[in-house]
Amino acid sequence: MHLAKTFIKIYYRDRQSLAFSLLFPLIFTLIFLFSGGEPDPTEIGLVNQSENDLSLKFVELVKENKAFAISEGDEVELRGQLIAGDLTALIIVPKDFDKSNTSRLRLLLDASQVRQVDAIKDSFDSMLLSIERELRGTQPLFTLSLEDVKARPQRYIDFLLPGILAYMLMNLCIAGSGYNLVEYRRRGILKRMFVTPIKPKDFIISIVLARMFIVLIQLSVILALAIGLLKINIIGGLYSLFGVIVLGAIIFLCIGFFLGSFAKTQEAIRPIALLFTLPQLILSGVFFPISSLPALIQPFAQALPLSVIASSMRDIANDGIPLFTLNFNFIGILAWIFISFFVATKFFNWQKVAS
Amino acid sequence: MGIIKATNLEKHYPSPDNSAETFAAVNKINLSIRQKEIFGLLGPNGAGKTTTLEMLEGLTSIDKGNVFINEIDVTKQPYEVKKIIGVQLQFNEYFDRLNLSELLILFASLYATSIDPESLLAKVNLEDKIKALPNDLSGGQKQRFSIACALVNNPKILFLDEPTTGLDPQAKRNLWNLAKSLNEEGMTIVLTTHNMEEAEYLCDRIAIMDQGSIIAQDTPQQLILDYAPEPPEIPMQGNIEDVFLALTGHGLRD
Repeated sequence: MHLAKTFIKIYYRDRQSLAFSLLFPLIFTLIFLFSGGEPDPTEIGLVNQSENDLSLKFVELVKENKAFAISEGDEVELRGQLIAGDLTALIIVPKDFDKSNTSRLRLLLDASQVRQVDAIKDSFDSMLLSIERELRGTQPLFTLSLEDVKARPQRYIDFLLPGILAYMLMNLCIAGSGYNLVEYRRRGILKRMFVTPIKPKDFIISIVLARMFIVLIQLSVILALAIGLLKINIIGGLYSLFGVIVLGAIIFLCIGFFLGSFAKTQEAIRPIALLFTLPQLILSGVFFPISSLPALIQPFAQALPLSVIASSMRDIANDGIPLFTLNFNFIGILAWIFISFFVATKFFNWQKVAS
Repeated sequence: MGIIKATNLEKHYPSPDNSAETFAAVNKINLSIRQKEIFGLLGPNGAGKTTTLEMLEGLTSIDKGNVFINEIDVTKQPYEVKKIIGVQLQFNEYFDRLNLSELLILFASLYATSIDPESLLAKVNLEDKIKALPNDLSGGQKQRFSIACALVNNPKILFLDEPTTGLDPQAKRNLWNLAKSLNEEGMTIVLTTHNMEEAEYLCDRIAIMDQGSIIAQDTPQQLILDYAPEPPEIPMQGNIEDVFLALTGHGLRD
């Protein structure tokens, strides 16, 4: 296919857009690299009003907890910081803090940060419990030791990366085929092409092959960075992962063609493409699991093209499930390949835009 | 026997004023174009020349009537027809970042054939531009390059849509010579123009179109005898273009 080779040449010579398409993932990788992928400790203020031995010991133990960054001070000043949002919570150790009675610690929170209140209260309760044991010198009756059944370290970034890769694959592909198609048609290049005996199907296959080649290189760079700098584990092997990427590229390139068939101008293709990509970014479990969505839309969300690609990549990267496992994701991928190629060739029009 | 035979061709488009109505861009046209002739479709802008040409080429669907090219039905076997024709469109743009040689090789590959880009470019006087990009060419060079693109499959019939519109006299004359020499090699050429001089100089036969219909069809000489008013008693020697060319020379300016 000489046409496919020529398209590779055209895309490769467009260095500027190649470089920019790598910029976002690079920045993303760097952000994760510098933050270490771990959440920052919660900023907590502490006011000690009692100053006896017990309370000093208590403060010392609180400071040992790595989940909190403690800053001590007087109540008025720390209250100000809490209201300004510099602190997430404020603990006040009362004057009558001793072993003889149940002391009432006051925890001041900014209720507008509702999202965090429950989590903070929980971790406080457990922290107080362990401090109490320590101070009273009692042995805990139970301890909880966390054992991951997958028995290997799994960080948020490990969950996130396959989804991010899938999302980038979708964007690169839709921009790659959809935007190109609109531009070529507007400038009459498509018309010139179809003066020759080339068939629309062959034309689509050529662009899909060429774009796939370019996208594979782009994703390889990102994957290499992720593995090299972020120490991502790809359990299931790179070949399987690239297999999914190739299949995903076919789906999204064909969908790009389909969307490009409805847009008259470069200005129109952007909102049309966003209409397709944005809901998927939210619904496809790229940033948080689909199971956290309302039950009603979960089946729908699971069947989205980005969902099947992302979760298939996650299966391979995190769980080592081979690509050719006859499961929901693989069937979903095959179905989407069929659907997207069908609509791409069916609605393809080199002359004017469809309806 | 004509190499191109069109019978009762019709093309209707939605009316720009009222979308419920249609107007006939091309209305019951009959054409018979002979092998090895240069045939001109002459007419003002909007007469339906380009639409007619694109129906012959299989680029625009035919509403009514039929076209046979080299005895192949354009509607039934458009791909077979496209293999034996070369087409120069009115507006030509190409992929960015490919030079002339690469573009010619690309177009040849779409016909599943291979060519020597250098000799093809030499044919249209562009041999020194082999590594140039289309956007760096002048108007006349662009037109000659688009003809080169139309020649990659060594077509039986060459279609040219307003090939000299916007060219200076030197480039125009040069393009006419190119068309003449291709014709002498045995190529049938169909062109559209609104340049009377071009029609008279270049074409063996012309059809004059207006408002979607052919209103006259014959050799230029016969049409002049039939329709033109009596010439003035003292004929002018040449015209202002001949003066322009005598003063500025015949050499190409790009």
